[in-house]
Amino acid sequence: MICEDFRLSGKVALVAGDSKYWSKYAGAALAEAGADVALAARNEKRLAEAAEEVRGKGQKALTVPTDTTDAAQVEKAVGQVVSELGRIDILVNASDLVFARPFLDVSEAQWRRVLDVNLMSAFHYCQSVGRRMIEQKKGRIINLLSCLAERGVENFSAYCASLGAVLQLTRALDIEWARHGITVNAIGAGWMSEEKSTGGEQEEQLLKYLPLKRYGHPSEVGPLLVYLASDATDFFTGQILYVDGAATCHL
Amino acid sequence: MATGKGTLAGKVAIVTGGGTGLGKSMSLLMGGEGCDIVVAARRVNAIEQTAREVRDLGCRALAIPTDVTDTRAVNNLVERTIREMGGLDILVNNAGIVRGQERRPLWEITDEDWRLGIDTNLSGAFYCSRAAMKRFVDQGHGKIINVASGNGMRGARGDFMYGTAKAGLINLTRVMAITFAPYNIQVNCIAPGFVDVRQLQPDPVTREVFRTAQYIPVGRFGVPEDIGHLGLFLASDASDYITGGLFPNDGGGLAGGVAPTGYAPVIEMEEN
Repeated sequence: MICEDFRLSGKVALVAGDSKYWSKYAGAALAEAGADVALAARNEKRLAEAAEEVRGKGQKALTVPTDTTDAAQVEKAVGQVVSELGRIDILVNASDLVFARPFLDVSEAQWRRVLDVNLMSAFHYCQSVGRRMIEQKKGRIINLLSCLAERGVENFSAYCASLGAVLQLTRALDIEWARHGITVNAIGAGWMSEEKSTGGEQEEQLLKYLPLKRYGHPSEVGPLLVYLASDATDFFTGQILYVDGAATCHL
Repeated sequence: MATGKGTLAGKVAIVTGGGTGLGKSMSLLMGGEGCDIVVAARRVNAIEQTAREVRDLGCRALAIPTDVTDTRAVNNLVERTIREMGGLDILVNNAGIVRGQERRPLWEITDEDWRLGIDTNLSGAFYCSRAAMKRFVDQGHGKIINVASGNGMRGARGDFMYGTAKAGLINLTRVMAITFAPYNIQVNCIAPGFVDVRQLQPDPVTREVFRTAQYIPVGRFGVPEDIGHLGLFLASDASDYITGGLFPNDGGGLAGGVAPTGYAPVIEMEEN
């Protein structure tokens, strides 16, 4: 159930980037709110699954297999979305390449890969879509990040650095584009899983530590995403909001 | 800037809550740099002991018994300091209590409990700052160092008064810093982490967690000198361009805090 003020009827959203959950769950949430949804990522199986979710909500879905780290491919994908769906009102940067190992064991290639996927992808999409949003004098950009954009966890150095960079991109673009009617916000997702538990001692330790003693389900991010994408948030920009079961607020 | 002993020579500081712990450490470290110290707290024996130790360092020291929640006592503290020590340059708002903060159900906390917690941990710093600020403005310099807590930046279970008051103190720091920046007055805030507070932990399970320091990245509790040295830095000329700052000094905990220390999975990247 979605408040009338938050409905996205008639809007076109682009969910861009590869991630374990976001094509599917961000796509579903936006479609449920009434948006047509384009999905751009490399993993075609996940794209197809996500498109299925969107169509299941009665909205149009367009899948565009794209290497989101490649500027030319991104530009082509964005052009295709605009020509087939008419415009892009909402950009969701959803790249989320998770990688963790002790910092001294991270190779330069791995470091670059994590930054390419998590940061460069957002860079390419913000440029390509942002240009069009400036022309239409309105837009919503939502970067799907995690608590690790602002907090450290052992072994996550490359991941933390890449997400922290996108968080700062969020704040910088807020300042640069607010006057064009474009809001730029980020969502910090907490520890997410589709399953209650996947086993393991480390996991047990983690769940015990968390205020709610459980993972978030990726679908729990949807309502905030829809709110930030809606017309109710014209004055709301440059912020990171957490859907993390209080993980970032406790001492 | 001069180095070594005596960088605070000729200065006068008031340290509230200076009888024990962080306040005592700051008093002695600042005294070691030649600063005259007025030690203020409720417990006479403790502040007199600190004052003696400051004098042993070759500085002047006064012990003035003070309840910081009592405006008249606070005003008297500042007036006596200026009269007897000849000036006031540095105010360390360190007084605070955890006493009366035992984790109780919210509905069992009385108005009196609430006011005591807020008064001691927040209003006291306001009263002291108010009493000192006119002097700082008139003389064209002054430094205030507020001692808040990590509890003022994040929520701890059942920590109603202390955590709320410390959060208020953090923003009082910023408001005073902005208001008095044009007068060459620096106002900064330290947020200590767990500084050997094991004895304050109410139940055996929590005590054990604290004993092992397992949630502190550096693997140990803070000691008063960890915080004292930061206070010394903020009291010195080295910090003349720093104001409105919040300085967590916590063994690294606040930079993380979304997973337990020691949680360190290895995850290979997925290629599509």
